[in-house]
Amino acid sequence: MLVVGGGIAGISVALNLAEYGAPVYLVDDTPSIGGLMARLDKTFPTNDCSICIQAPMMYEVKKKQNITLLTNTEVRRVEGSAPDFKVRLVQKPRFVDESKCKGCGKCAEACPVTVQDELDGRIGGKRKLVSIPFPQAVPNTYVVDNACRFGKKRADGACIGSCVVDCSQCRECQIAKCVVACRKEGAEAVLLWQKERIIDVRVRSIVIATGVDSYRPPEGPYGYGVFQNVLTNYQFERLMNAGGPMVGNIARPSDGKHPHRIAWIQCVGREAGAPVKYCSKVCCMIATKQSIIAKEHDPSVDAVILYNNLKAYGKGFYTFFRRAQEHGVRYVKGRPADVFENPETKALTIVFEDLDKGKVEELEVDILVLSTGLVPGTRTAKIAKALKLPLDEHGFIKEKDPICKPLETAVKGIYVCGGAGGPIDISESVSQAAAVSLKAISGGD
Amino acid sequence: MAGQKAQGAGRKAQGKEQGAGREARGNEEGTRVKGRGDAGPSQSPAPCASSLAPSPLAPCTLRPAPCRIGVFVCDCGSNIAATVDVPAVVEDARKQAGVVHAEEGKWICSVDFLSRIQNAVKEQKLDRVVVACCTPRTHEPTFKATVKEAGLNPFLLEFVSIREQSSWVHKFDRPEATRVAKDLVKMGIAKARLLEPAECVRIPVGKEALVIGGGVSGMSAAVGLAEQGIKVVLVEKTDRLGGLLNGLDMLAPHTHSAEKLVSDLEQKVKGNPQIRLFLSTQVEDIKGYVGNYKVRISGQAEPFTISTIIAATGMEELRPSGFNYGAVPTVMTLLEFERKLKTGWNPGDVAFIGCVESRNEKRGCCNVGCMAGLQAASAVRTGFPQNKVGYFYPEISLEGTGVAAFEDAVRRHGLKLFRFADDAYPTVEKGAAGLIVTARDILSGPEVRFPANTVVLITGYKGTEEAPKLKGLLKVSSDNDGFFQEAHIKLRPLDFAAEGVYLCGCARSPKDVRTSIEEGMGAAMRALIPMNKGHVESEGIVSVIDLGNCSKCGLCAKVCPYNAIELVDKAPDVIQAICKGCGTCAAECPKDCIQIIHFTDEQIGAQVEEALKEDPGQKIVAFCCHWCALGAVDMAGVNRSEYPPNVRIIRVMCSGRVDAAWVRRALELKAAAVLIMGCEFPTCHYIDGNYKAEKRVERMIKSLGKKGLPADRIRTVWLSAADGPKFVATMKALAEELEL
Repeated sequence: MLVVGGGIAGISVALNLAEYGAPVYLVDDTPSIGGLMARLDKTFPTNDCSICIQAPMMYEVKKKQNITLLTNTEVRRVEGSAPDFKVRLVQKPRFVDESKCKGCGKCAEACPVTVQDELDGRIGGKRKLVSIPFPQAVPNTYVVDNACRFGKKRADGACIGSCVVDCSQCRECQIAKCVVACRKEGAEAVLLWQKERIIDVRVRSIVIATGVDSYRPPEGPYGYGVFQNVLTNYQFERLMNAGGPMVGNIARPSDGKHPHRIAWIQCVGREAGAPVKYCSKVCCMIATKQSIIAKEHDPSVDAVILYNNLKAYGKGFYTFFRRAQEHGVRYVKGRPADVFENPETKALTIVFEDLDKGKVEELEVDILVLSTGLVPGTRTAKIAKALKLPLDEHGFIKEKDPICKPLETAVKGIYVCGGAGGPIDISESVSQAAAVSLKAISGGD
Repeated sequence: MAGQKAQGAGRKAQGKEQGAGREARGNEEGTRVKGRGDAGPSQSPAPCASSLAPSPLAPCTLRPAPCRIGVFVCDCGSNIAATVDVPAVVEDARKQAGVVHAEEGKWICSVDFLSRIQNAVKEQKLDRVVVACCTPRTHEPTFKATVKEAGLNPFLLEFVSIREQSSWVHKFDRPEATRVAKDLVKMGIAKARLLEPAECVRIPVGKEALVIGGGVSGMSAAVGLAEQGIKVVLVEKTDRLGGLLNGLDMLAPHTHSAEKLVSDLEQKVKGNPQIRLFLSTQVEDIKGYVGNYKVRISGQAEPFTISTIIAATGMEELRPSGFNYGAVPTVMTLLEFERKLKTGWNPGDVAFIGCVESRNEKRGCCNVGCMAGLQAASAVRTGFPQNKVGYFYPEISLEGTGVAAFEDAVRRHGLKLFRFADDAYPTVEKGAAGLIVTARDILSGPEVRFPANTVVLITGYKGTEEAPKLKGLLKVSSDNDGFFQEAHIKLRPLDFAAEGVYLCGCARSPKDVRTSIEEGMGAAMRALIPMNKGHVESEGIVSVIDLGNCSKCGLCAKVCPYNAIELVDKAPDVIQAICKGCGTCAAECPKDCIQIIHFTDEQIGAQVEEALKEDPGQKIVAFCCHWCALGAVDMAGVNRSEYPPNVRIIRVMCSGRVDAAWVRRALELKAAAVLIMGCEFPTCHYIDGNYKAEKRVERMIKSLGKKGLPADRIRTVWLSAADGPKFVATMKALAEELEL
């Protein structure tokens, strides 16, 4: 079996199959499994800490004998048909030998360059040029920034002193600080000349679990990208996360001060003409969760959620919404028209129509969170192309018969689950993962 | 594993055999002391015994033969060695009773050193191994496998974390870091002396499943199982398969025929010889546990032997109150309306009212009402284009990618949509010609009066009537509406906490057809895992009950979250294969007659004693759960966060294991404080161990306070795995408060 994508859906599929007794290749194109869930602070509707409940599953993947875990690995090509697919996988170099790295972090300590983290950059996330994706990463192996190897990070302060690296010139590097630090530890795990690895496997069935991405709105509307204190819900989640760049201190990006007024605007990206043409299901509960946590951090925070239709459809969701109300979170049926910034205080004024009152109102806040939806992961299109799978009009993997035969793609022996098939929450992903595992072992349609 | 024995009926036999073995060994040694508090220190022959006298504690196993312990301390390159004086730690360890070998290694997890450990085990005839290095969360499996290959039972390994708990967090204080490391290693050695071999316990699981409920979810589960060669007993209380779908016509949003879907699935069920279908049948009784259920159903004299059970009992519509429902026959629920519409009946002008008996203080959104209601409303307009249809709603909840087209279709059907405020439901009154529905439309503003011949109430749902009985039979829980409670709402949605029982579809909460089918298949997969493996197995850390002192109070069975303790004539009996080793039964037992293998009272007691041997007034003894709390400790390490070097962490699997006797002993030995560290609520790896721990600590504070002990020094902290900073802050605050 081949499982593509190591988020919570892919992990669940791999564990189900492995426990059943089927050998599994679990492939993820990032350096660690965990996916979107590993970056979250809490999960609704219970406010369980996300990584707390996910990390044991990640360690289990590592431990299971019949799971071959291949991170930093892409599916290049698939030939054949069910039940005999020939798959070519390419493992991109991470420039650190997984079998030798102890995760001790001496390389990162030695690295002289700190850069903005891709994910958390806007809210102060930093990393070294050799880094680990997050503390609970599986595998617990560091990764060297490829650009650094070609002297392309000079602008960020790389290539100083003895740490001059240009891997286009030579092979066995003796001078890079990370290499030296690792060698000093007696490990020789940093291999700047590591090459990509081609792995050919034969599998009975393939499960696509490439997940979703958080929608990134264009700069401009609602002041996103223009005003510092306008964040997406994903950025706000990282801000709240004790394991995130601000170690859980909810602070305004503009001045690091504690916010007293926070508002959420729902359905960002679904406005007329905007690219998201469907309801992403989870954003209402994400905003509810974030507002509860903001209130738990500081009960005096004024939290307002501007929404249209509340999607509290799942088990325990409505109770969760009521819990937010009991915390004093205000839900306003409102259509935001515009957002202005006070250039001095960096506070934001939202102009909106309160539907219940039937009039236009203004609201000033310290942080504005845009509740953006879930869009197909970038790798979903890639994998669909490699596997010749049709996509639906939104860019998710198309199912053959969404009611009677859920999770089956147009190709026999290839199945889809989790966010690759559409917006979904964690619980549904895990249920689907169990269902798709049954499809994968039965191999039928 | 070589030591694993497959046992079925033999489980009890093995239990006895084990028990007998233990007895025999005890007798041989002649020193196995039962009862409370009579294992005083004077009786303890050095060096391998520990006792916690004078506290009343559990039986103490005393071994006459000195054990042969090997200690391996890691430099972790310079990660440990740069801060901790590793040679001093090794020397200190060498001096401890029972230690015959102590060694430093640069990377003790490297392949070379692992074989060095194995050679030492063989050559020096080591019977216990202590490794002091990083964290058990990542590296314990490696070392367990290593000693096992060398012929040692893996439970004779003790893991000490001196990187995360010392060198990484006391970087600027070499003497203190070294002292902490020495203490932790000595605590590990003290526990190691008392370690005993343990085996994984298995019970066989056959290939017979029971599926309760013949709706789409139950049928999907049954077919999924049968296609994998499982013999399925499918029980349906009514006289036909299909459940709720039987009343429906077309399924939104894809306009499939409900009838066709049901008949397709029905054919698969009836055409599969592996499935025995019982219509108009109820489950009468369920006894036993995974792999060995005896299930009696109505109309069958002989019980079935069943390995796993799937509850797919579905849901039913609530009975609405108000809106003249019951008084006027043309006011009806959605399902009543659908059934009638299917006969070709012309309902005249229709008003739909959404979210009846739902989205209130009692229950949430019904998940399916908007979709089904809009589908029915559109069907009226399609069938009777001249009829007017008014659709009153407080919210529309249609989600996912599939509904965009549906929304368009609804719009094209020319329904009149009126949105009312959450607290202002429409009223239904009898008018001259029919019914009048009145509401304020918040979208347009004015009050709307809509004359209708028929009013359809889109009503919420509850679990079916058989759910309460089943709840008792399966020993599972459900919410106020009779929907069953899963083991974990996010990550174990289709499992019950107890092994071998699963749930799916609307028995969990209201669902659409697609999700019900998915969950049916998913539950089938979950049930297939033990049936295909042929067994379930504990990981060795399990509960053991010594009935000698048992008062048969039954508390242990009551607190067990996994139904792993059966009461046989009131006497508790642990089904070890399904015990997860959380230890809440051991902590709860008022007679201290329950032990958890690898975390026995005396093993932990030995750690407490060792920790407080020197300078107890400077030390905080922390009982730390293996999951989130240890995760937070590890994270503080990974972040290199400095905190005062006063804490000595003793690992337990769950904070629910923490026994009052340990806390008492630590206070008697004059510890600066005792800290109980568990998972942040509501998360618990063992369902609710931390909640039980919290209550127990409250009781401990009261009872130990009464005994004159400084109960104000008992503290708790509940941490998520990302709470490294919170742990550090707690340690700092505690050290400051206690002036350490």
